[in-house]
Amino acid sequence: MNSLVRLASGLSLLLWAGVAHAAPKPETAWGLPHDASVNGHLIDWLINSTSVFVGLLFAIMVIWMLWACIKHGADHPAEYDHGDGKHHITVALSISAAIFFVVDGNLFYNAMVDVRGQFWNFDKPESHPQAVRIEVNAHQWAWDARYAGPDGRFNTADDIVTLNDLRVPVGTPVLVQLASTDVIHSLYLPNFRIKQDAMPGMINRMWFQAKETGEFDIACAQHCGVAHYKMKGQLTVLPRSDYDAWVGRASAISSVAFDAKDDKAHWGWAWKPN
Amino acid sequence: MSDVVPFRSPRARAHESTALVGMIIFVASWAMMFAALFFAYGMVRSRAAAWPPDLLRLPLGLPALNTAILAASSLALELGLRAVQGNRARVAGALRIGAAALLGAAFLALQTVVWLSVWAGGLRADSGPYASVFYGLTWVHAAQVAIGLVALAWIALRAARGTYSPARHLTVRLWTIYWHFVGVVWALMFVAVFLV
Amino acid sequence: MNESSAYQDLQPIHPEPASFWRRCVFSTDHKVIAKQFLWAGLLFLLFGGLLAMMIRWQWAYPGEKVPGMGAVLSRSGGVITPSAYNTIFTMHGLIMIFFAITPIMIGAFGNFCIPLMIGARDMAFPALNMISFWTFLVSQGLVIASFFVQLGSAAAGWTTYPPLSTQIGTPGTGQTLVVLAIFVTGVATIMGSINYVTTVIRLRAPGMTYMRMPATVWGLWLTAILNVLFVPVLGSAALLLLFDRAFGTQFFIAGAAAVKGGGDPLLFQHLFWIFGHPEVYILILPAWGIATDLLSFFARKPAYWFKGSVIAMTAVTILSAVVYGHHMFVTGMNPLLGQSFMLLTLIISVPAELLFLNWLHTLWKGSIRLTVPMLFALGMVFVFGLGGLTGLYLGTVSTDLYLHDTMFVVGHFHYTMAAASFLASFGALYFWFPKMFGRTMNEGLGKIHFWGSVVFITLVFGGQMLVGYAGQQRRLYDPYQYTFLAHLRPLNQWTSFFAFALGLSQLPFIYNFFQSVFAGAKAEQNPWQVGTLEWTLPSPPPHHNFDTIPTVLRGPHEYSNPEVKKALGRDWIGQTENLPTGATSGAVAGTGGE
Repeated sequence: MNSLVRLASGLSLLLWAGVAHAAPKPETAWGLPHDASVNGHLIDWLINSTSVFVGLLFAIMVIWMLWACIKHGADHPAEYDHGDGKHHITVALSISAAIFFVVDGNLFYNAMVDVRGQFWNFDKPESHPQAVRIEVNAHQWAWDARYAGPDGRFNTADDIVTLNDLRVPVGTPVLVQLASTDVIHSLYLPNFRIKQDAMPGMINRMWFQAKETGEFDIACAQHCGVAHYKMKGQLTVLPRSDYDAWVGRASAISSVAFDAKDDKAHWGWAWKPN
Repeated sequence: MSDVVPFRSPRARAHESTALVGMIIFVASWAMMFAALFFAYGMVRSRAAAWPPDLLRLPLGLPALNTAILAASSLALELGLRAVQGNRARVAGALRIGAAALLGAAFLALQTVVWLSVWAGGLRADSGPYASVFYGLTWVHAAQVAIGLVALAWIALRAARGTYSPARHLTVRLWTIYWHFVGVVWALMFVAVFLV
Repeated sequence: MNESSAYQDLQPIHPEPASFWRRCVFSTDHKVIAKQFLWAGLLFLLFGGLLAMMIRWQWAYPGEKVPGMGAVLSRSGGVITPSAYNTIFTMHGLIMIFFAITPIMIGAFGNFCIPLMIGARDMAFPALNMISFWTFLVSQGLVIASFFVQLGSAAAGWTTYPPLSTQIGTPGTGQTLVVLAIFVTGVATIMGSINYVTTVIRLRAPGMTYMRMPATVWGLWLTAILNVLFVPVLGSAALLLLFDRAFGTQFFIAGAAAVKGGGDPLLFQHLFWIFGHPEVYILILPAWGIATDLLSFFARKPAYWFKGSVIAMTAVTILSAVVYGHHMFVTGMNPLLGQSFMLLTLIISVPAELLFLNWLHTLWKGSIRLTVPMLFALGMVFVFGLGGLTGLYLGTVSTDLYLHDTMFVVGHFHYTMAAASFLASFGALYFWFPKMFGRTMNEGLGKIHFWGSVVFITLVFGGQMLVGYAGQQRRLYDPYQYTFLAHLRPLNQWTSFFAFALGLSQLPFIYNFFQSVFAGAKAEQNPWQVGTLEWTLPSPPPHHNFDTIPTVLRGPHEYSNPEVKKALGRDWIGQTENLPTGATSGAVAGTGGE
């Protein structure tokens, strides 16, 4: 019964939304999916720059092996060398250290900057005056989302509750706090290059910022049972004005549909402070 | 104790050292398993709002008595080992090892009483994390005691039959190490589960 | 009494038991137990491989009838259902890791190589060794039984994360039996590992210093140490999970949503990965050791800076215990903790690079013989290069935010744990086969097997990495439900075709193996012309291995020594051989041993 109410409210929101509901655009080429986020390029750059290093190292290794196998075959006299001379050791250690400082150093430095400055820096979105806050509760096999509504408080009558449907404004940080009712799920936004596990008994968080409007897939990345493969939703990035209009309409409907006695429907929690 | 160092062939001595190395590695391995259990205890406890939950109190008296019993059992076994080494295996050795085994059995019996009384008091295995820790950890330990108990009884019988001599009693030494380890784990468990 | 004859007495020669049962079934002979593990492992390798083929079928043709599986999947008319699919990938992972690679690499070659290569007559505890195998067999029986109970076998993924793996997510006896099987196989592994560690410490022949041990033994020994220390952690996790499933305890079951109280699902992940990350190295260290030896043997050149390789392997062993957190970057872990785990993880690349450099230097200016074992060793370096390098992306927090739980991870760990471990295992099998069975394997079929395996392994796991790079999550019954993955179907299909080709490439091996076991040409004592101790024995070695326990004079990689060439007219010298004349012994005996 409760889930029916939830479903009905979700459906009605869908109908009343008044925005076009195109499906996400399919990708056309192999490689990273389209990047719709402000910070995604940081990850893309780090992946791709590392790929250049890795590709180079691997190529050197393969050429070396092929060269040795071709040139130093059975008719080549082997050199008697244990390789434990001082200069040998120095060279080996220096090469290892050089690779470490360049390749791993690049990864470590940039990851630290990106993680501390952006992906795990929750001060940044929390201090943004217009930041959007969403609570997501995962369960087998759907995403319930909750917006605080005009009163700015969660678990109240004017909360907007949606099913497998996230709407966010473009160009504004979006904060998500995540939990799960049954097993572990993982909220995965491929076009925003982030994911975060939804754990029963824990509130996890993530944030992102869209740089363009459009529709994008919401996926589950953690094996969560039989229908894991279709635990998907849609993220719609709207212009700010459309978003504000939707929030106004949707919370008006929600207030009407609100049932104080329906405990199951009040799964929200007080926003966990930073 | 006898001052005479019994003659043991190089082969016997080498065999003994090998067995002791193996036993130490085994104990290290088993210790890792208990370390993991205590880690689990720590994590579950750190998440709990109240520990123990509401008014429930685990009994302290019987577990404390049990700690003493297990300590006495370890001591008896150690004395039994000394007796075997002093060529008094058939009587003193067998009696002391047998006493150790009996004390171990008493431990298990009292442990059962504790379980039953706690169960009757309303704390069941499925009553929550506190019950999980209490039952889970004590079950694993009790299984370990049970294994040791069977071994001790068997050793006591063999001692009485005269199987062991000052030169040949490796089995007794190995099980003594095992039994001391069981005692140490219990002491830690008593502190962690019942005291704090 | 000189040193050597004192040693003869320490390990007495026991006569070979006469009865068939004691000789071939309940044997305490490490060589027999090795073969038992080999058979059990190869059988389950086939099983796990067939499961993999079914996964690949599903990704190429989701929801379509699997050819030839109508009888097995009778209830669904030959179609893989979502729940059957979950069981298939779960059991593929568990079977391959615990019941195929582990018994082959550690059970078979650990048992076979360690005593022979260090000059011992058997393991330190032969009876324990036998019990270890039979305990392992019980765990395999539990796995098979799990398929025949109601609701089928385990389906919570090989990682068995609760709450999905508790009764909440996966009810039924099958999952319980499989968790029990993991516990039981853990007990078997611990028994075996205690044996390995003790044997290496106590039963090395006189003169066999640690630095004179072959790299294979080093790899197996370090693996055994990791097993002894970390399998018990897995054991306790499995035990607590069993309690949760059977007795209703709540170690891993948490209250709903934001409600506090209850157990901690994350606790299991901590325990699992405290074991799980060392496990990755448990499965690769023997492969590294085998490759280090084989590259030197067949390049006819000393292993380059052998001591450095040993130090590197030891460093990896130690580091493996403190990096497990990189499996949990997106679980909501403390950011500072995440960053520390990232740093520690990246540090592992230093010893790994050192190993690679040593391998490459060993090949350089060698006299390379591309025998089948050598090809497999080179293949292992090749695929481990891919696997190791792609690990960088996953050990780094920010790139892992995107790549975590995608097929990129799957491709990465298949390159390391599957491709590298299996190529090294096959290399080891081709190399030691003459010693194990006293017969020779067919070289031509071996080469066909190698090229098929290495080419298609690279393509299959490369295809997995590509779809992961494009964002495809792992463990999806039907990836094309998602719009952003729909275009990957042709790529997935091609990967599946390569996987089927990889499966077919194993047929020459199966034929070759059986043909050679029963009808192969008789093997010589030392067909590869190498100097480690096992090749001083007849093929196969007698029950007690060594008539007299040898005295070791030098390291295992003494090739192309000009002095040896002058004195013996060949490019190798055994670890126990005396140089007859004009031996200044400085260059020969002094190297590789401190």
